[in-house]
Amino acid sequence: MKNQNFDQQKEYKYGFTTDIENVKAPKGLSEDTIKFISKVKKEPKWMLEWRLKAYERLKVSKEPNWQKPKFSKIDYQDLYYYSAPKSMKDKPKSLDEIDPKLIETYNKLGIPLNEQKKLSGVAVDAVFDSVSVATTYKEELTKKGIIFCPISEAIQKHPDLVKKYLGSVIPVTDHYFATLNSAVFTDGSFVYIPPNTKCPMELSTYFRINASETGQFERTLIIADKGSYVSYLEGCTAPMRDENQLHAANVELIALDDAEIKYSTVQNWYPGDSNGVGGIYNFVTKRGVCRGKNSKISWTQVETGSAITWKYPSCILQGDNSVGEFYSIAITNNHQKADTGTKMIHLGKNTRSKIISKGISAGKADNTYRGLVDIHRKATNSRNYTQCDSLLMGNKCGAHTVPYIKNKNSSSTIEHEATTSKINEDQLFYCNQRGLNQEEAVSLIVNGFCKDVLQQLPMEFAVEAQKLVGISLEGSVG
Amino acid sequence: MINKIIDRFEIKRLKTLTKSEETYRKNCLDIFNRLGLPSKRDEDWKFSDVNEIFSKNFNKFNFESVKSKNQNVEFIKDLEHNYILVSNGEVVSSDFKYEDKDKINLTQFKNEDFSKKNENNSLIYLNHALSEKGYSLNINKDYKFKKVLVIYNYFSSELNENFLNIRNKIKLSKNSELHIINFIIVSSSKKFFSNTYEETVLEESAVLKNIYLQDNVNDGYFHKFARYKLSKRSNYSSHIFPSGPKFNKFDLEYDLSGDESECKIIAATFLDQNDHQEIKTKVNHLAPNCKSYQKVKKVVSGESKGVYQGKIYVKDIAQKTDAYQLSKAILLSENSEFDSKPELEIYADDVKCSHGSSSGSIDEESIYYLMSRGLNKIESTKLLVEGFLSESIDTIKSTAIKKFLQTKLTSQIK
Repeated sequence: MKNQNFDQQKEYKYGFTTDIENVKAPKGLSEDTIKFISKVKKEPKWMLEWRLKAYERLKVSKEPNWQKPKFSKIDYQDLYYYSAPKSMKDKPKSLDEIDPKLIETYNKLGIPLNEQKKLSGVAVDAVFDSVSVATTYKEELTKKGIIFCPISEAIQKHPDLVKKYLGSVIPVTDHYFATLNSAVFTDGSFVYIPPNTKCPMELSTYFRINASETGQFERTLIIADKGSYVSYLEGCTAPMRDENQLHAANVELIALDDAEIKYSTVQNWYPGDSNGVGGIYNFVTKRGVCRGKNSKISWTQVETGSAITWKYPSCILQGDNSVGEFYSIAITNNHQKADTGTKMIHLGKNTRSKIISKGISAGKADNTYRGLVDIHRKATNSRNYTQCDSLLMGNKCGAHTVPYIKNKNSSSTIEHEATTSKINEDQLFYCNQRGLNQEEAVSLIVNGFCKDVLQQLPMEFAVEAQKLVGISLEGSVG
Repeated sequence: MINKIIDRFEIKRLKTLTKSEETYRKNCLDIFNRLGLPSKRDEDWKFSDVNEIFSKNFNKFNFESVKSKNQNVEFIKDLEHNYILVSNGEVVSSDFKYEDKDKINLTQFKNEDFSKKNENNSLIYLNHALSEKGYSLNINKDYKFKKVLVIYNYFSSELNENFLNIRNKIKLSKNSELHIINFIIVSSSKKFFSNTYEETVLEESAVLKNIYLQDNVNDGYFHKFARYKLSKRSNYSSHIFPSGPKFNKFDLEYDLSGDESECKIIAATFLDQNDHQEIKTKVNHLAPNCKSYQKVKKVVSGESKGVYQGKIYVKDIAQKTDAYQLSKAILLSENSEFDSKPELEIYADDVKCSHGSSSGSIDEESIYYLMSRGLNKIESTKLLVEGFLSESIDTIKSTAIKKFLQTKLTSQIK
């Protein structure tokens, strides 16, 4: 374990580590590492070939460098690409067989794995470093024909579905980090909702990076078949370390005719200490495609963690009348850097998209909204509305807006507006006067600023997110 | 296909170069040759791939300077004005009959600054390496122009695939005031490329108003890079009405480096056929209490493409900044396109910055309203487009200029 600063634990309450014996892949990125991962996961041959194809591509591609936040060089040979708790080597058959330490970890994080004790009605898939440790509520979901399992399990049990859809939204030839993920992804969730089914509960995945010198490369694939609906939540935390850890996930969503996917994220990876040491590099590729008519994909994200975030959840609106939505809150404090936004690509007729982005910047942080709205020639009667608001606290931080707007269709309309301002002194004064201290007042005002996005979150998450907004900004005013 | 490497011989051809100037020009040319023509791989040229456009339309670079025999320029009537007549970049004649001539200094541009600069735009290096023509205009302290100055920029009929590199400089000393109309007149029916680099310096409390007007349809390819330096309490405002050429890119950079300086950019264009036009602005708020205002309106029809890239940069010390940016576009035809990138980069917290961008079709209800009153569809559309664009002239105070611009703008709309 590298030296940790325990004083900081107050600020980041998920900063603890769990002492668990790990099984790791040999250090470094090579064909052997990929073969190792594939072997451990007992993957069929086609999957290994797919991974190796990605690796070949990776060898000739370069890291992207157009984003605003620059990062220190990542030594890809100095990372472990696979790390799993030893007790998971032979998969436990029920929750009773899981290492109690793991259960304890998730209890500390507030994630209920124990179905009996659970009240919240959310099915959880918990991913610890490179493997999925537990999936709850499986039986109830199976009755409805819903598949919700770790993706490694799906590769073995539902190869047809995986083969058909994996990489169909984010091809192996995409940018560097997406390709890296395709080569070495370890686990993640797989969701399939059969036609005309409304998923009875929220599905949720909880990601946790525990081991040091590892990267987490999860892959999530969600398919909503005709006329179905699913709401999916994702949460993440990591221990405090003074090294930068890489998290490069790929998330693919596919919505067929009349289907709807709602994807919510509360990202709270370790952001580094107040001097900018350590923290997670969160380089994530999230993309959804509205393949069918009248389909809908809605992204909601609350980004409070990570040292650097690069994330652009996108929607390809292929089917006629399809709808894409993006609601985002990005909060950066201390030395955090966030470069996040969305892409709305309108291909089908009567497609609609809406973007609401709220960026809050404090301390010495940098916050960028970067987005693309592209209405293609054939996307008649399409519409986009974008609103990006930024809030600045202090004059050492930065807030930036970089929207790309392309309109090639004369019957389509694009509207974009953006503002940048600071917290209104009058509002602060009003709150102070009524007995709130400075921090409570700021938290209240910021929550109000973010309201449009917070109300898009499912209830359980909204409460957590609201608290998180307050905590992330502690110490930034006064 | 155009040969993209330019021989140093082109510099040797220029006469009377001092040793240091020759070295400077050679360095600039080497940089241009290394960078090449801007293409969509360059962030600032994402929407206007000059490399591709030139490869399609030009066979070779021809840097020979062209002297025109006679300038067939129709001067603006009904408007009392001073003028400078510039033909293919070179000053041919001037008349400051309404002014005190001692307070004005107009000379051929002479570059004396050979320091190395970092530019993002390779066409600036090309300009600095090969520019021959251009003017330098100085206005003395406290002098305020009585009448407007019209600069007739004439491009003669002799031009045929020529590449002109023009370099101008305007300096307004403390407390001076000048109103300019930059009028572009193209007589050539052939292709040519005009690459202008212009520097404008406004000293304390100076006021400059600039109208850029181009209205006849031609085969010209224009690129203009202009840099404006604004000192304390100085004020710059410009109205840009460019219409007509095949390709036109304005790359405008404003440094608000003195407290309480202000700048205002208003543009309105009608694009037709396969015209390609881009306005790119960068407003740097470098001092407190400055104001900037930008409003860009475009109507694209035919197969034309309109682009607007605007950036507001606010430095950490530039508190109390008030910056505003708006772009609006109407797409009239199926094959037209409008792209925009309104950007904010802000490091100061006590500021008011906002931008808006919208694009879409013409309002059906308004068309319906007009048609129900007896206008046909074409007339209704024209009327609405005219109203949309004319709004940009409203802020001009002089009625004579306003009237002149209104006729020009109306004639652009087809």
